Amino acid sequence: MSLGLSESRNGEDGFAFLGNGGEMGALIRDRDWALTPLGPVSEWPGCLKTATSLLLQSPVPIVMLWGEQGVMIYNDAYSVFAGKRHPHLLGSNVREGWAEVADFNDNVMKVGLAGGTLAYRDQELTLHRKGYPEQVWMDLDYSPVLDESGKPAGVIAIVVETTERVLADRRNAAEHERLQQLFEQAPSFMAMLQGSQHRFELVNPEYRKLIGERDVLGKPVGEALPEITSQGFVELLDKVFETGQAVNRTAEKVLLQKPGEGVEERYLDFVYQPIKNDDGDVTHIFVQGSDVTLRVRAENHQRLLVNELNHRVKNTLASVQSIATQTLRGANSVEEASGAISARILALSAAHNILTNENWDGADLAVIVTSSLEAFDGLDGNRFRIRGPHVRLGPRAALSMSLALHELATNAVKYGALSNEAGFVTIDWSVIRKADSSAFTLRWCETGGPPMPASDRKGFGSRLILRVLPMELGGTAQVNYGPDGLIFTLETTMQAIEESVPGD
Amino acid sequence: MIEQAKKRVLLVEDEALVAMLVEDYLTDLGFDVVGPAMRLEPGLLLAQTADIDFAVLDINLAGKQSFPIAEILRQRGILFLFASGYGTAGLAEGFEQVRVLQKPFDRNDLEKAMQQVVP
Repeated sequence: MSLGLSESRNGEDGFAFLGNGGEMGALIRDRDWALTPLGPVSEWPGCLKTATSLLLQSPVPIVMLWGEQGVMIYNDAYSVFAGKRHPHLLGSNVREGWAEVADFNDNVMKVGLAGGTLAYRDQELTLHRKGYPEQVWMDLDYSPVLDESGKPAGVIAIVVETTERVLADRRNAAEHERLQQLFEQAPSFMAMLQGSQHRFELVNPEYRKLIGERDVLGKPVGEALPEITSQGFVELLDKVFETGQAVNRTAEKVLLQKPGEGVEERYLDFVYQPIKNDDGDVTHIFVQGSDVTLRVRAENHQRLLVNELNHRVKNTLASVQSIATQTLRGANSVEEASGAISARILALSAAHNILTNENWDGADLAVIVTSSLEAFDGLDGNRFRIRGPHVRLGPRAALSMSLALHELATNAVKYGALSNEAGFVTIDWSVIRKADSSAFTLRWCETGGPPMPASDRKGFGSRLILRVLPMELGGTAQVNYGPDGLIFTLETTMQAIEESVPGD
Repeated sequence: MIEQAKKRVLLVEDEALVAMLVEDYLTDLGFDVVGPAMRLEPGLLLAQTADIDFAVLDINLAGKQSFPIAEILRQRGILFLFASGYGTAGLAEGFEQVRVLQKPFDRNDLEKAMQQVVP
């Protein structure tokens, strides 16, 4: 048996099949193959040489496993894959060379030598090629190499490591999953529109909620949400698609027609964000925003309240102006006027208090009467007899009634039943129900007062109770002077006094 | 002796105290006051039938707006102005040019506004 080394020197053409076989070619040439089951190269069968020559010329990582033991011959590309195992791996038996995956290769050898092929994609294996266990993925293709008699003599394996791609795919998948979750769980609505027709490609749950769970995927916006076409949104999308400029809108009104429901008004903050490809062309529009309807409504409501408050303040100022001006006109002295103005403003204020407690919805007549007369009652608290059924006054009627009762009581203290120790006042009211409208009558009846002169009908009090009150309450009013004192009668309808809308 | 007839002014105002005051102002300024009408319906009736030369209209009458009254006055060729706690905000279409007196106002404001409306 001769040594491979002397063989290389002596046989000029013995290694010609290695050609320009790179580093591996040189290693194969220098290896003493007599120590392996393959025997010296000079004794290699032609098919082994041909197969070796073929794999050495290939830029693709290829390893050949020859014979029952699977003696390994591989090329430069495979040597990179082999890591620290190279160059000792050359000429070793595959089950020993890759001891950690011996079972896997055992199967390869059995199948290959039986003439079968194997193909694996992204096959996961744990290799120790760098001195520590390492998880790797590979595309593996095995096919038999036949000898001259057509019998499988070895297995050739194309080994492409895909570890980097597999890990990158996993990272991408995880990233995609994360984005998908963000999209699904986002508190704002989101949609991805594709192409110049703005076809729905993706919508998140908030977007589906906004549009009433309509099935819009794959449809153009104009077809999926026909009601928005006339509201300028499709034109806006066209503009974003054409110009590539994002559009932001705040508190934009949109009327949505949810299936089976009426038209609904919503207010939206949103952005149309163009998505461009590598060439800078817009391919998609990303729609993202929030439904701010509640905020807009609250703001509108607040504006309304501020307007209403301003309006009410102006009216109150006008009422106070009226009280002051008219009281001063008929006053005999500054002191008298000052007291009367204060008392009238306080009467107005007391009525406001009652109405405020009731949220300006109205007030019970008994509460208005009691409150208006409280300040005029004697220490014994029995100068007023008050009786009548439960009657609800509208806010306007409550204010006027308070002022009128104040004027009547002031007059009674000055000239009437409350000007002595014995007199008293009966205030009673009644409601007579009729088919179309109910009649309301209120009487102020003084008893036990001194004889009274007919009062000046042009004074503030007289004008208020005899002209303005009945006019405001749509009825009639009169004052009579009986032997016992003044009798005031107001007659109107329940409809008029229940009127609930405060005007200006 | 011939006494020159006083001009007659329709007052539509739903707030009792304000109605009394404006009535005084108009009387002081030498007008005969028609009304005051304190609700839309009596206001409409007076606007249609009363012999009047001018009108002072509150805009909000117990929740109803007085623009139908203004419409009738316009058809009859009777000049008018609005008095409102809302000021010029909230004027109906077609009435944007009408003089609005913001409440509260005094007699001089009323007189000046009426002079501006009546050429």
